[in-house]
Amino acid sequence: MHTVSLRINGNPHTIQVASTTTLLDAIRDHLHLTGTKEGCGIGECGACTVLLDGAPVTACLILAVEVEGASIETIEGEAQSGQLSDLQQAFIDAGAVQCGFCTPGMIMSARALLNANPNPTDEEIVEAIAGNLCRCTGYSAIIDAIKVAAGADGREGPGLREAAAHTEGKAAADA
Amino acid sequence: MPDLKYVGKGVSREDAVDKVSGAARYTHDLAIPGMLHTAIIRSPHASARIVSIQTEGAEALPGVRVVLTGAGLCYRLGLYMQDKCILARDVVRYQGEAVVAVAADTLDIARAACELVDVEYEPIDAVLDPREAMIEGAHLVHPDLGLYEHMEGVFFPKAGTNVAHHQKIRKGSFDEAFGQADVRLTESFYNPPVQHVPMETHATIAQVSPGNRVEIWTSSQSPYTVRHLMSAAFGLPHASIRVHVPYVGGGFGGKAGLGLEPLAYVLSRAAGGRPVKVVATREEEFNTLPSRQGLHSTIEIGCSKDGKIRALKSTYVWDAGAYADYGVNIGRAAAYSGGGPYSIPNCWIDSYVVYTNKIFGTAFRGFGHLEILWGIERAIDMMARKLELDPAEFRRLNLLTEGDTTITGEAFTSGHGSPVGCLDAAAEAIDWESPSTAPSEPHKVRGKGVAMLHKAPAMPTYTSCGVVIKLDEDGGADVLVSGVDYGQGTYTVLRQIAAEELKIPIERAHVTWECDTAFSPYDWQTVASRFAYMGGNAVIQAAADCLRQIREVAAQALDVSPDDIVCEDAVAYVRGKPETRIPYEKLALGYTFPNGNSIGGPVIGHGRFIATGLTHLDSETGQGLPAQYWTYGAHAVEVEVDTETGEIEILKIATALDAGKVLNPKLVVGQVVGGVVQGLGSALWEGFRFDESGRFLNPSFTDYKIPTAKDLPREAKQIFLETPQPGGPYGARGVAEHPMISVPSAIGNALYAALGIEFSQLPLTYERILLRILEEREAGE
Amino acid sequence: MPVFSRSCRRDERPAGEKARTPNVRGSFEYIRATTLEEACQLLLEGGGSALAYAGGTDLLVDIRNGIRSPNLLVDIKGIDSLHRLEAGDDGLTIGSVTHLNRIAEHAGLRGRLPALADAALSIATYQLRNRATIGGNLCNASPASDSIPPLLVVGASLRIQGVDGFREVPLDCFCTGVKKTCLEPGELVSEIHVPPTPPGTRTAFLKQQRIRGHDLAVVNLAGALTPRDGLLRIAIGSCTPTPLLLDPIETSGHSIEATAEEAVRRAAENISPIDDVRGSAAYRRAIVPILVRRLVESLMRGGA
Repeated sequence: MHTVSLRINGNPHTIQVASTTTLLDAIRDHLHLTGTKEGCGIGECGACTVLLDGAPVTACLILAVEVEGASIETIEGEAQSGQLSDLQQAFIDAGAVQCGFCTPGMIMSARALLNANPNPTDEEIVEAIAGNLCRCTGYSAIIDAIKVAAGADGREGPGLREAAAHTEGKAAADA
Repeated sequence: MPDLKYVGKGVSREDAVDKVSGAARYTHDLAIPGMLHTAIIRSPHASARIVSIQTEGAEALPGVRVVLTGAGLCYRLGLYMQDKCILARDVVRYQGEAVVAVAADTLDIARAACELVDVEYEPIDAVLDPREAMIEGAHLVHPDLGLYEHMEGVFFPKAGTNVAHHQKIRKGSFDEAFGQADVRLTESFYNPPVQHVPMETHATIAQVSPGNRVEIWTSSQSPYTVRHLMSAAFGLPHASIRVHVPYVGGGFGGKAGLGLEPLAYVLSRAAGGRPVKVVATREEEFNTLPSRQGLHSTIEIGCSKDGKIRALKSTYVWDAGAYADYGVNIGRAAAYSGGGPYSIPNCWIDSYVVYTNKIFGTAFRGFGHLEILWGIERAIDMMARKLELDPAEFRRLNLLTEGDTTITGEAFTSGHGSPVGCLDAAAEAIDWESPSTAPSEPHKVRGKGVAMLHKAPAMPTYTSCGVVIKLDEDGGADVLVSGVDYGQGTYTVLRQIAAEELKIPIERAHVTWECDTAFSPYDWQTVASRFAYMGGNAVIQAAADCLRQIREVAAQALDVSPDDIVCEDAVAYVRGKPETRIPYEKLALGYTFPNGNSIGGPVIGHGRFIATGLTHLDSETGQGLPAQYWTYGAHAVEVEVDTETGEIEILKIATALDAGKVLNPKLVVGQVVGGVVQGLGSALWEGFRFDESGRFLNPSFTDYKIPTAKDLPREAKQIFLETPQPGGPYGARGVAEHPMISVPSAIGNALYAALGIEFSQLPLTYERILLRILEEREAGE
Repeated sequence: MPVFSRSCRRDERPAGEKARTPNVRGSFEYIRATTLEEACQLLLEGGGSALAYAGGTDLLVDIRNGIRSPNLLVDIKGIDSLHRLEAGDDGLTIGSVTHLNRIAEHAGLRGRLPALADAALSIATYQLRNRATIGGNLCNASPASDSIPPLLVVGASLRIQGVDGFREVPLDCFCTGVKKTCLEPGELVSEIHVPPTPPGTRTAFLKQQRIRGHDLAVVNLAGALTPRDGLLRIAIGSCTPTPLLLDPIETSGHSIEATAEEAVRRAAENISPIDDVRGSAAYRRAIVPILVRRLVESLMRGGA
């Protein structure tokens, strides 16, 4: 067993872990922060993305024992004093959340991007979230949300891809 | 219709707050004190006898509480066809089938225990191709098929064969009409099995309590079906089974019916009632949990010179895999939908659901329709070419319009929607009339294609939904349902409808998130694109019930007749006398007169909806009324292909759906954008791969590729027609599955325009495209 | 490669095969080495059951799938000297534990060896590139490694550290087979050296994937053109058990078309692709000439 001291969302914690305990296990099972999800366990889906000393990483492929002294940010730290961040609000407003399982990892990848690059291009946004798989949304609204949060785009809603809501009303067959 | 305040508006999801902050708890996230964790052993063989299982080593490991094999679990499970065991008994029928389950104090101990179990197998014959499985003398996956319970009168398994069900449509006289047709076509098509890939894998917790009661938390689309099937399988009264469904991380059909619940239950029972959690790893999600069935289809079309379809015949051979529970219903639905959205005077369909020794299929978004429309819409395009007609024009000549009948004898009315309108809208959106603009590089080519889609909910004739609305102390409302919102956003739509009908501000209307069979009213299953329709109608009825109660009490309070009471903006008042207003909060729990006398009581409204007018299909002709409503649509797509590498890019894709009424534009656009991308996955990249012995080769994201943010079309458009659906809430019909259904077909059609090559197999990988280009080039030389 | 298989084929593994359960977390111990000597000593003492642990993006997945079952992981990320990244007049020195994003984003490295920067960028995802190391990619020795071809075409060598000192091994001798290297017990790769490239050297990297999202290569290749001697070096991955370095091709006095033809001819003669889950031999044979030609054109034409 190893004793590991680390900071999670600014708070100091000390935990006991086995050598084989992943950072993801430690966050979810030892620290009971279940916002970070397991989607595949092999680093391919991004659902377990957290920030490790500011860098986005997949926690499923990191051992808890090796992050002694590190500073970890998870989705639970994105809102401050009970207030959703601009990024979180932008996800809601843009319709970028459906089942929500990819959302924490997606937001952490976006958070890392905006921290390093407050005015990303579309390409940079796509590159930042390309390692986060989503099966529900088709990504467009997520890209839009990140643009809005970056302040690069003042439009609301799914504007990146043309959404021509073309409606043809027909009078009811019998009024 | 008066102006609507909330219905039809892009109201944001209330649940999004929990989801963006990490507070949403999915079954993956739940823990109960004393909970055990589970690991399973999967079969390495596609077909084998289980000779022996030695579990002593595992049982002796400290921390191991239960080791189960199929030997002690003599249950057969299934909704339509009871052919499934909890753990393999006597034989394994697919590589990946669960053989042994271990429940232990920690997941690590459970996994280590699995290493100590010895299973001895004797491989036996396997049958891997459903067409070969239909040949007399083929290895029987279920020799006892004739003894299995099944939904009588609806499904017809053929004892002594691998055919779990055979659905027929016989309309008119195919042979004669085909023989007399001026132009004929016969083509075959193939869809491989694919997986739903919900981001949250299957997960269940079960806890047995004294008196053989069980409480279940599960990532499911159908709590009541879980309860009912558990009751049927284990002989427990319904009331002894309590099912909770918390947040669900995607379903797409794969979480309908029973999943891990029976296993969790028997483990908890064996562990003396300790709660047991079973969570599928991603590899198990691919290799052990069900898929979308593969399909081999052969389509024959006969047309007259004037471009009218005279005869259509389809033969479907569904690759059900090792168990056919949902498969049989997909086979049935495919048959009655097998004419496509066209008027076909003579139609002959045979839809066979066939066992093989591979991973088994279940419901998947589209319920067979993506698979059959791959064949139908490709064949339609090919026929257009034979007739030298523009593919869109050929479709226009044959799409169902008022006065036509479908292949099951249903009369097509204006209330069905406008297939032609959808086609026109989608085609126009990609500038169908003009040829593609020149590609950026000389080795690239472009092409445009269209494809139609249609689907009705495939559900039993008695499918129903109940809703309860209870008013809060402050006059707000809680809506209780047990349909599940696993991302599609239906709870938001129901909230909008509740607020609209109850005449309260939407901030005060809520749909209670977790469903619990102890107090959420019955809903059949959240599949089939029927929840907004049926739940919406039930909410309207429940709200009317609440208002009736409010008006009654207000009428007494104000000494008028209830007919004189108007409800508006969360108050009730006498018509023409707004100064008499009583706010809902003074009525929600009853009304108290100034002198203290109280009348009324807590306002609780209920509503329900049951499928109306549906009939069984005739077992010989398939005639009947299977569809509560049809939803029609079309995709139009422009592609660009690199003829040197086979790489294909989607330049533009337009999807037009006749939604009847767009209840929430933000949500429905999200459904379509997401569904189109999921459709792209089926079109270009996804498919299970097996080796010669039936072993699954790509059970992980390393080699099962789904679209990422880098794989999107350059441009995507979503167009909604609103031909009101009679009987639909505000005229709406379901659209949840439809966005993905004909994406592969449209792309296949566009590839012909780009390359002059007809593709008949999915997925349309870069490799497949290039090798066909080279083949054609060589043949041409 | 059949997508779905023929029927009635009995599985020919021996009866009595023990149930294998992948996904076991393993039962390794973990130790963090502070010096190179300590790391090598621990690896030597452990024999084959002690493994160097850097990014872990291949190793932990192999442990999960039961492919490797070490008893001890020796974490080498804390050894400062393994994080060197210097681009100077004596070439490039890259510490083996340099993670891939750093390689992709290092201006000096990109200026000298853009093929390697592009190759690094093509690997996995942004999150994984914050952990995966170049040493890990090299030592995994996959035939489809993306970092090996760009380093082969510039004559890179590896410094291999052992308990008794170090040795330099040319990269084209390092991989000895599919996922096999010439590392002896107790050794680890400490540095990658790229000799100074002649002025005007141009390099490029191309990779064919199944999808635009992150993927392993179906075919990958790199090229280096040195104007001073007019030689074109091409390395092709995913088509032979170890990445293939073709003999240098003369370009002086030859047209682009002729050079491309020669390169394609040599490639076709020397590759031996197989069918695997990622692609068929036929597809690989079909696209290698295309990619080789595109590579030659991009290097000789001077286009981006």
